[in-house]
Amino acid sequence: MDSFTDTEVGGWEARAERYSGRVRTFITETDPGALAVVALSMGSLLLAFAGFLSASPLAAVPFGVFVLSTGYGWVRHQALIARAVTFAMTTVTLVTLGLIIAFIFVESAAAFRYESVTVFGVSVPGLGMFVQTRWDAVSDPVRYSLVPMIHGTAMVTAIATLVAAPLGVAAALFISEIAPPAVREAVKPGIEVLAGIPSIVYGFIGFTIINPWAGEEFALNGGSTYLFVGIVVGLMALPTVVSVAEDALTSVPDSMKDGSLALGATEWQSMTSITLPAAFSGVSAAVLLGVGRAIGETMAATVMLAGVQKIPEPITNVFYGYETLTSLIAANYGNASGTQESALFAAGVVLFVTVLSLSVASQYIEARMRQRLGGERT
Amino acid sequence: MSSDAEHQSAGVSRRKYLLTSAAAVGGVGLAGCSSSDTSNTNSGEGGNGDADSSTSSDSGSSGPSTVTAEGSSTVYPISNKGSSYWNSNSPPSDGEYWGSNDEGSVPGWDQIQTDENIADYFAGLYGFEATGERSNPPFGTRVALSHSGTGCEAVRDGLVDIGNSSGPITAELGISEQQRDDNYVDHVVGRDGQPVFVSQAVYDAGVEQLTGEQIRGIYQGDIANWSEVGGPDQEIYVVGRAEGSGTDTTFRLNMLGDAEAPMDVDTRLGQNQQVQQVLQNNDNAIGYMALAFSGPGIQAVAIDFDGTVFQPDPDAENTIFDAEYPLNRDLHMYTRINEETPDGTDMREAAFLNMFLTDFGQQVFVEDVNYITLPTSDLDAEKQKLPEQM
Repeated sequence: MDSFTDTEVGGWEARAERYSGRVRTFITETDPGALAVVALSMGSLLLAFAGFLSASPLAAVPFGVFVLSTGYGWVRHQALIARAVTFAMTTVTLVTLGLIIAFIFVESAAAFRYESVTVFGVSVPGLGMFVQTRWDAVSDPVRYSLVPMIHGTAMVTAIATLVAAPLGVAAALFISEIAPPAVREAVKPGIEVLAGIPSIVYGFIGFTIINPWAGEEFALNGGSTYLFVGIVVGLMALPTVVSVAEDALTSVPDSMKDGSLALGATEWQSMTSITLPAAFSGVSAAVLLGVGRAIGETMAATVMLAGVQKIPEPITNVFYGYETLTSLIAANYGNASGTQESALFAAGVVLFVTVLSLSVASQYIEARMRQRLGGERT
Repeated sequence: MSSDAEHQSAGVSRRKYLLTSAAAVGGVGLAGCSSSDTSNTNSGEGGNGDADSSTSSDSGSSGPSTVTAEGSSTVYPISNKGSSYWNSNSPPSDGEYWGSNDEGSVPGWDQIQTDENIADYFAGLYGFEATGERSNPPFGTRVALSHSGTGCEAVRDGLVDIGNSSGPITAELGISEQQRDDNYVDHVVGRDGQPVFVSQAVYDAGVEQLTGEQIRGIYQGDIANWSEVGGPDQEIYVVGRAEGSGTDTTFRLNMLGDAEAPMDVDTRLGQNQQVQQVLQNNDNAIGYMALAFSGPGIQAVAIDFDGTVFQPDPDAENTIFDAEYPLNRDLHMYTRINEETPDGTDMREAAFLNMFLTDFGQQVFVEDVNYITLPTSDLDAEKQKLPEQM
């Protein structure tokens, strides 16, 4: 870290000089045999990757060389090869992420081009997906607006948050502050189990029980509603909220609570005026993670929603349930081709950007929390 | 016809057997399946040796490679039942699945009358060597379930040998008829009626028959209440199918008059089973789905097209099983034309597809799973698309 900051001061040549100097020292100080093995192993891995990208059947050959040379290196020069291999594995993770991102953007390009709108003489690709509300992939005029699905996702996420946030924070507060240890030990695994129930189970219950019931009780035309999808998705996001919020509340230092109690505050007063405010950013991060889970939830939404691309009237009407970004992809991927398929990738891009921003936001908040509570300082 | 073919095959097939087994022996040492299926095709075509790899299949066995199929959930029951029968390679003494014994015989057996096992017999018509063993057909068959569009794409990309589709490939892949004829062979194995079903409550309240015009009105949003078509004063819950699916395309084409006709529906569902369930769960729904999924709690309605009333009752004068019923559609199994198979159908595929085109196949694989069998003239036309039998 330090050397990195130092080099910033020097010019470009100076930095390059220093770096090549370090490389030279490293090379001269290391056993040439070990260097050769590492170079062979990493070089063949790169070759295998190039072969993979070009879909060549020969990619197996450099991969075999990689496995063999790494195996040999593991026996002879373990420390050095381990450094190289762990570095390579980390790179693989990042490269995978990069390839996925590149892929969905490339695949969605056709739909973005199709939905270009000219504003002040400049053609803006993709704008047509957001300034009009018609999605119809078959009949004329064929348009691919994502607005109905963005609306659906927003509705489901808002309702899910209204369910998951108060329930989740209350449960976290109970587990971390109020419950006796025996109860805590029993309840925490229970919440983990809740997190482990596959989403199709929720969806199936929703489709076979909740939808018909809602259709009957509320005299709806069909039983698909954003309300109940939101509630179901909220329950699914609940375990995430509880466990992250509970961590945040537990990480508030006892000294702060003790101080409050010593001044004569009751337990409840300490909770509301000390613990919760101190853990506020952590609890927000928990809720944001829950929201991210709700946005990405696919199976339950696909099974329970109607699967048509409309916006209810009025726009806040929760007793209709049409389509979310995820259910659009899940319900149509099998039949879509051409621009329609590309438009599904565009929905994927919107989802990706949304979830990415949420995850960055919650990480930022978590980092801030750690800083404020005097954990690590950077 | 099959007995004729059998007589012929006795003389001609020895060369074929030798070629097949020689290739199979070579295949053991080399890369397995690909060489043998290439040589099968080539010997049929007179030996053009430049083709280098198999169309698709990746089976590891040394014999002819497995025939793979994928696609529409509507064609799946036919294809899958055929595949199961094939893979069982039941002996003719079985009686229930193949051949005949004291307890009965399979439909259409009088035209077959062979002492070979089921897959041995049908594969033998195209020059494959019999195994004579139950559960060990001359080559395997495998059917995967997805969607019409996926099946067409899979056969286009050479991922499978046979693409099952309930809609025409021209609509599924957005290609011209010329492109279809240049690249694919369309094997029709049966017909599917798409009856219009309503919830039991609506049927009981008097909606037993609709006109084509009324159904158009319902599906295009002009008719929103059952009272407008003689039913109860209740909103209509209109169930459509996944946008762009084979079922959706065929319905638009046949009922609304244009493959791109606009629709206004309350829900779109992907699977026949979901339509069935939604119609059962609601008391005001209308939907259309494959005949095979009719069940309790839903009722097929009679439809009046320009004065002809098509009844859901098989004994009526005009029924929804007739070829004239406008919502009937062909069930396709597409094969790909490529360098190795200029005719589009190699010997393995032909042997498997031919099974569906016999009286036995039509009865067992089409009619028994509630689809509509092809009339004789159509069967003859379909057989013409297959290569010569040995």
